[in-house]
Amino acid sequence: MHNLMLLGNGLLNVLSIQNLLVTGLGAILGLMVGAMPGIGSLAGVALLLPLTYKFNPTTAIIMLGALYYSNMYGGSFSAILLNIPGDSPAVMTTLDGYPMATVKKRPGQALYTSNLSSFIGGFIGIGILIFMGPALAEFGLKFGPVEMTALLLVAMTSIGWLVGDNPTKGIVLTLAGILVATVGMDTLTGSPRYDFGNVFLLGGIPFIPFVIGTVGFAQVMKLIDEKDVGTKTMVEGKMSLKGSLLSLHELRRLLPPAIRSGFMGTFVGVLPGAGATTGSFLGYAMQKGFKSEEPLGTGAIEGIAACEAANNAAAAGSFAPLLALGIPGSGTGAVLLGGLMMWGLNPGPLLFSSQPEFCWSLIASLVLANLLTLAIALGIIPWITRILSVPIKLMVPCITIVCIVGSYSSTNSLYGVIVMLISGVIGYLCEKNGYTTAPMLLSFVLAPLLESNMRKSFIISHGSISIFFTEPIACCFMVVLFAIIATPIIRGILSREKR
Amino acid sequence: MSKLGRLKTKIIIPIVAFVFGAVFSFLGITKYGFYHATKGPLPGFFPSIVGICLMIVSVMTLLQVRSDDDQHSRKENWYPVLGTLAILLGCLVFGMYLSLGIFLFWWVRIYERASWKATIICFVIMGSIVIGVFGCWLNIAFPKGLLFSWM
Repeated sequence: MHNLMLLGNGLLNVLSIQNLLVTGLGAILGLMVGAMPGIGSLAGVALLLPLTYKFNPTTAIIMLGALYYSNMYGGSFSAILLNIPGDSPAVMTTLDGYPMATVKKRPGQALYTSNLSSFIGGFIGIGILIFMGPALAEFGLKFGPVEMTALLLVAMTSIGWLVGDNPTKGIVLTLAGILVATVGMDTLTGSPRYDFGNVFLLGGIPFIPFVIGTVGFAQVMKLIDEKDVGTKTMVEGKMSLKGSLLSLHELRRLLPPAIRSGFMGTFVGVLPGAGATTGSFLGYAMQKGFKSEEPLGTGAIEGIAACEAANNAAAAGSFAPLLALGIPGSGTGAVLLGGLMMWGLNPGPLLFSSQPEFCWSLIASLVLANLLTLAIALGIIPWITRILSVPIKLMVPCITIVCIVGSYSSTNSLYGVIVMLISGVIGYLCEKNGYTTAPMLLSFVLAPLLESNMRKSFIISHGSISIFFTEPIACCFMVVLFAIIATPIIRGILSREKR
Repeated sequence: MSKLGRLKTKIIIPIVAFVFGAVFSFLGITKYGFYHATKGPLPGFFPSIVGICLMIVSVMTLLQVRSDDDQHSRKENWYPVLGTLAILLGCLVFGMYLSLGIFLFWWVRIYERASWKATIICFVIMGSIVIGVFGCWLNIAFPKGLLFSWM
């Protein structure tokens, strides 16, 4: 109750004309930045940070928070319409979002599913943040290297094992993604490895060009096939607001995965270093264990809802450790933390008591940003789906240019374009041969985190693997891990016996 | 496409993955170090384990590959790759903006034979994104190329 009163004060503060304007502006910029491949929330917040120097800390963080938050909505736009994830949390959205928009010719419904799920996930995340923020952050602190290693093993294996038709193909790409991520500097000692004497490789493989290539550019190469089969446009979906709405039955299908992923995503967001990307991958993996009306990966509402709700919830959840402990949950959280320090605020257990106005205004701005972004996003869907009515022959060069410019912008060098091109060709060959590339992207993002935690665990245990089974939380995750690995094998054996 | 050609596209990924795993695990163990009694895992520890696992799973995939459907691509699928390579080379001479402009004009107007109206619309939209958003708003310094540097 006390927290609600504080939130009320925060809302009153946010509802001033100035703060309302910056929340709206942050939400619109976040949608744009999220939808634009190659920018993402990290670059968006970093680019906006210098513009907020002259604001007071509360107004500045409100704007940045709104941008970060609405970015999670925007990332799904290009993921669904163009199969190019605007940001890494939207990678999983492409798996069902793009088929729903193009194969099923329901782009409006795919976007509405994404936005409504984002809203539900965000609502749950913010709700939990309001009531249990500091307590959740404390629970997240119980996650040491051993627990994080076990959690990350579950995340990677579940996606590699469960996505696509062939589990071994998924595992090949998961492992390949991990190896690609090890190029550059060693995570613990900082010594160079696998750079082969190349100065660019010393800095590692940049994620954004890698993801643009693997998903976006590979898609451009595949689009050429569709160009010649007589389709004049990518899709002839309904463009009216009414025609894009979801039916009551579809809303019922959307709710359970969105609610489940909302709770799970918040928990993942609270864990230091896990972030919205892990949340979205885990949300999708979790949905694999539940019944969906249509198979996941074919344009199922449940698939879009699970990952979109999870990433928004994780974005909200990540504010708990950031404010209460000063531990950023993601790269974007780190930039926000830098901003807080720049304004003379010291995030930590005392922040909620020493700067209540600031903390609760920020949380209230997330509530407002969640509502505003939903309204803006839902309002523009009928117009944004028109992108899909552009003939493929014109889309191919335009998407190629977006891929090139996005990759260049993220690295400020042609190295980014070269990485995008190579990963695009690899992604195309993989997709052609039945390999789903999502596990590779997930493992690429999480590999540094897994490596540092795994090595720390082995240092703690003096090289003994038993530590993963003696720590209670880690042991639970290991049980889940073995269950994930065993399920398809047992299913395979049972189906053979039935035959 | 010949049978041999189709077979190559099917087995290329597991073979490349196997070699990839072998190189990373070999370098990890021999060059970067695996495990030290007091320091614990060394930089080659994690990639070596992953590399060995990749080799094993690649062999499993290779054994399954015969049952897969044949997949092949046409030369048209590779045109975006050639276009991007041309843009990369063009960036060094003409700069990014001009190279992208030439690519867009060539693809839309000459290769696809689109109308002038469609070509102009493409130029306006892509120009607003590349120059307006990336160039002006985000202040991305695109390469000018040798030609514009001399001028």
